[in-house]
Amino acid sequence: MSENVTDINSVQTNEAPVIEFKGVSKRYTNGTHALEDVNIRINKGEFVFVVGSSGAGKSTFMKLIMREEKANTGTIKVNGFNLTKMRRKQIPMLRRTMGIVFQDFRLIPKMTVFDNVAFAMHVVGAPSRRIRKEVTNALAAVGLGDKARSMPNELSGGEQQRVGIARALVNNPALIIADEPTGNVDPNMSYDIVSMLASINKMGTTVLMVTHDHQLVREFKQRVIMLDSGKIVADNTAGGEEE
Amino acid sequence: MKLGDVRYLTKEGIKSTWANRLMTLASIGVLVACMVVIGLAVLISENGNKALGHLEKQNIVMAYMKDYSWALDMKTNADTADKTASEQTAASKSGNSSEKGDGAQDGAAAETPDENGIKNSDYVIHSDEEAKKLCKQIRKIDNVKNVEFISSEEGLKNVAEQLGKDESNKKLVMELLKDDNPLPRSAKITMTSMDEFDSTVKAIEELEGISNVRSQGDAAKKILSIKNGVQIAGIWMISILLLISLVIVSNTIRITMYNRKLEISIMKAVGATNSFVRLPFIVEGITIGLISAVISEGLLYFCYRVVTDELENVLGGAVIPFSHMALILLGIFAAIGTVSGVIGSSIMISKYLRKEGSEFAAI
Repeated sequence: MSENVTDINSVQTNEAPVIEFKGVSKRYTNGTHALEDVNIRINKGEFVFVVGSSGAGKSTFMKLIMREEKANTGTIKVNGFNLTKMRRKQIPMLRRTMGIVFQDFRLIPKMTVFDNVAFAMHVVGAPSRRIRKEVTNALAAVGLGDKARSMPNELSGGEQQRVGIARALVNNPALIIADEPTGNVDPNMSYDIVSMLASINKMGTTVLMVTHDHQLVREFKQRVIMLDSGKIVADNTAGGEEE
Repeated sequence: MKLGDVRYLTKEGIKSTWANRLMTLASIGVLVACMVVIGLAVLISENGNKALGHLEKQNIVMAYMKDYSWALDMKTNADTADKTASEQTAASKSGNSSEKGDGAQDGAAAETPDENGIKNSDYVIHSDEEAKKLCKQIRKIDNVKNVEFISSEEGLKNVAEQLGKDESNKKLVMELLKDDNPLPRSAKITMTSMDEFDSTVKAIEELEGISNVRSQGDAAKKILSIKNGVQIAGIWMISILLLISLVIVSNTIRITMYNRKLEISIMKAVGATNSFVRLPFIVEGITIGLISAVISEGLLYFCYRVVTDELENVLGGAVIPFSHMALILLGIFAAIGTVSGVIGSSIMISKYLRKEGSEFAAI
């Protein structure tokens, strides 16, 4: 672990971190070193951008948090779960504590907007009455209250991504992970999407967003973690990108 | 899993069955074909069993005793043979005839023949008591399950019964033969196992006092071997068809899963348990299986009816009516449908459940 990174991560609170990486390395079976000795601590209520070029290790970083992949060395803690000791059966419980926003929206085309959002609640076994109430609220929160009965293909890219955010939000997660949420929307809409995530963050939800859009990173002035060749090369808690 | 979840997932499974209706129809078609063949094998086997059961009743062996009627019969046969022989050699062998006659007179010195020319020593069983003793001896033979003594009178009654329902015919037979009953005493023997049929019959025949044994053993053995053959072939056929059913259902579920890989990836991302992901597919598999079961039952009913209508004319009431087998067959079909649905879908879903996020896109 480099001294630089240790200093950057020195902003600590007594509260348990939402995400904590200690000496994490990930090497794939084909020999690729995706992450090497990563140490990071993300506290409750933070908004963090993760940036880096292709192959920097951003995807692996996200996969490790979602426990899609397992670290070879080190320990990872997310929302109180120790991912390194976690059994497969516990993975769904971990994922219920987070909402995921995908670059490609991942909406089910044959379902209405309402059903797409409700789907995330059905999966966690929420009762029908609560589903109706929470889905309506989540759609209103992303400004799509009037599109509940629309089909995904009737919406613009930006609107589809807002449905994705509503779906991530509806189970009231402690952490929202957004994997390049603005990658498939136009620049104006990108700003709205990040604004929406920022307002969700203001209500106390931790947001971790992977992006390539440097303009957005500069505008929103939030903590930025920069990855390069599997290592954290910068962690700017002051907000904005280091030149 | 909560009841509400089960309801939701069952609904999803049925919706998916309809959404993939072309593939569902193809699966149902193949499953129905398999089930009808399995049903036919069951029906053939059951009818074979019935035929065998009927013949196994014939496995009752009748052992006839060497009593007075037997001696009379022997004498009649011997007299007929002597008469024929003496007619052929009357002229040339007159001397020999007189010698033979002398010999007979020597034997008769001890006892006097009755009006039919039968002496007491000509037969072995002289009374019902002796016959019953012989029955006890038969009972001691291995593989003999039961022995029932049938007196000459009872034998006559049985013969009269077999003549039909016409009471006047029965009376006529009884009156004509009452005083001159030609039927010997007999023993009605039931065997435990058909496998030792021959050795048991031989042991009975070797007993002193038994004249002959009548059975339908050969026919029973043939049916037994046919039944065994049908059963073995049936087991193989059913096993192969079950395997085909499994492959068919698995394949349908595989395609459904492929079509729904986006949903599965989202389910997993938002924290669905494996059983939650699995249930709609299992419901779909079971739905396909149960629809196939109902169609197969109907189809088999018509096929069987057509065949049995023709056979009824030949075999009379020997064929098992479909109604007797309907519930059993429906049960078998439902079991096949359910099992192939559950196993077929489980095999496929396990493969998908191991995948994560972006791996779904690569499928």
